[in-house]
Amino acid sequence: MTTETQALLAAFQHADSFFPGGATAFSWGLETLVSDGVIGDAASVEVYLRAQITHRWSTSDLPMLQAALLAREDETRLIELDHLLDAMSLAARQRIGSTRCGAALLSVHMRLGSAAATSYRGLVSRGDALGHLPIVQGLVWGEMGLSLPIASAISANSLCQSIVSAAIRLGIVSHIDSQLIIGRLRPVIATAIDGDVPAADQSHAYIPQSEIALMRHEIQDNRLFAN
Amino acid sequence: MIQDSVLVKPKAMSAGAARVGIGGPVGSGKTALLEQMIPRLIARGRNIAVVTNDLVTKEDAERVRRSGLIAPERVLAVETGACPHTAIREDPTLNIQAADDLEARFANLELVLIESGGDNLASTFSLDLVDFWMFVIDVAGGDDIPRKRGLGILQSDLLIINKTDLAPHVRVDLPRMVAEANEVRRGKPVMLTNCATGAGVDEVIDHLSSTVLFDR
Repeated sequence: MTTETQALLAAFQHADSFFPGGATAFSWGLETLVSDGVIGDAASVEVYLRAQITHRWSTSDLPMLQAALLAREDETRLIELDHLLDAMSLAARQRIGSTRCGAALLSVHMRLGSAAATSYRGLVSRGDALGHLPIVQGLVWGEMGLSLPIASAISANSLCQSIVSAAIRLGIVSHIDSQLIIGRLRPVIATAIDGDVPAADQSHAYIPQSEIALMRHEIQDNRLFAN
Repeated sequence: MIQDSVLVKPKAMSAGAARVGIGGPVGSGKTALLEQMIPRLIARGRNIAVVTNDLVTKEDAERVRRSGLIAPERVLAVETGACPHTAIREDPTLNIQAADDLEARFANLELVLIESGGDNLASTFSLDLVDFWMFVIDVAGGDDIPRKRGLGILQSDLLIINKTDLAPHVRVDLPRMVAEANEVRRGKPVMLTNCATGAGVDEVIDHLSSTVLFDR
């Protein structure tokens, strides 16, 4: 089996929603916006996901993941990136969701035998690092030998799966519409990955409606999702 | 070069508190069983904590916290994203996190009870999440439930038939229901409770003590 084929199979495994990373419990603000009536059909879910990809993932998660992957053997730099991402995430539920998903991914990779995950989890346990999801993704996928574009694509795919899957469970899109949405966003993701990715210290996010929804989600008693 | 992962058994990595799952359909009495078990376990000197999984996040956790039966900080709620079976089976990572968190916070914790959200008869617990799991059904769900041979009925370590007092009122032949449960479970234990009064719950605790907590 070629290295390329192995990389492809590894990408399938880690991009699969079956891979346990806790993502099922997160809607990233979608639940509140559905509850408010702002989002209620496939078209509005697509707009929401496109905004997440364009104005947050491409400009924040992607540069952080790539910087973490390149710095995976430099714990000081990883911790610096981790704190930078935390400082730049406005809504608490965004920060908490990111660290909870990061902790879940670290935990699973640690149990799969990852030395990098074991080491970084120790830093998180001691309070030195925070374990935000893009940092953990860059770390563990870099350790596996995945390339920058492949790791980036897995990250984008995971976000898309998480949101359309939440939309299906919230009853606002069909299984066919969800696949159409993901398909239509593929060129948007590819352009972001293949284009000029911002440097980590230039990363930014601006999705105010989603961020306000995440903040409002904190104080809602009746909710299905963690954010 | 893609590295191969080395499979490490989770239990070998954490020999801490025993983790016991409580699953079963909506309304079968999982939370009521918890409420009956907690004071009995505490009375026996057990150091315990609870994780709840609820459809609407914190309903069951708040019920247990407000019960006065256990310190509220020993109860954590895990969100399931409208997918209760995923949270205990395909992707139990958030439940494992919650149990790890409780173990880190409370020294010498002996037992973490993990209550699933209400689900169907096919739900099962991940063996990476729990050491032992119970499945709670009730007579009002119909005496044909054991015959349906759901995975929860067949594979749980302990099947509990709850609300036994209701049997005559819902025209359920309880002895036949128990006989059929024993038949499909092929020797795995079946116990009867009425969690409204606590009847049968001491026997459940005895069973847990002898099969799960024996060396603690």
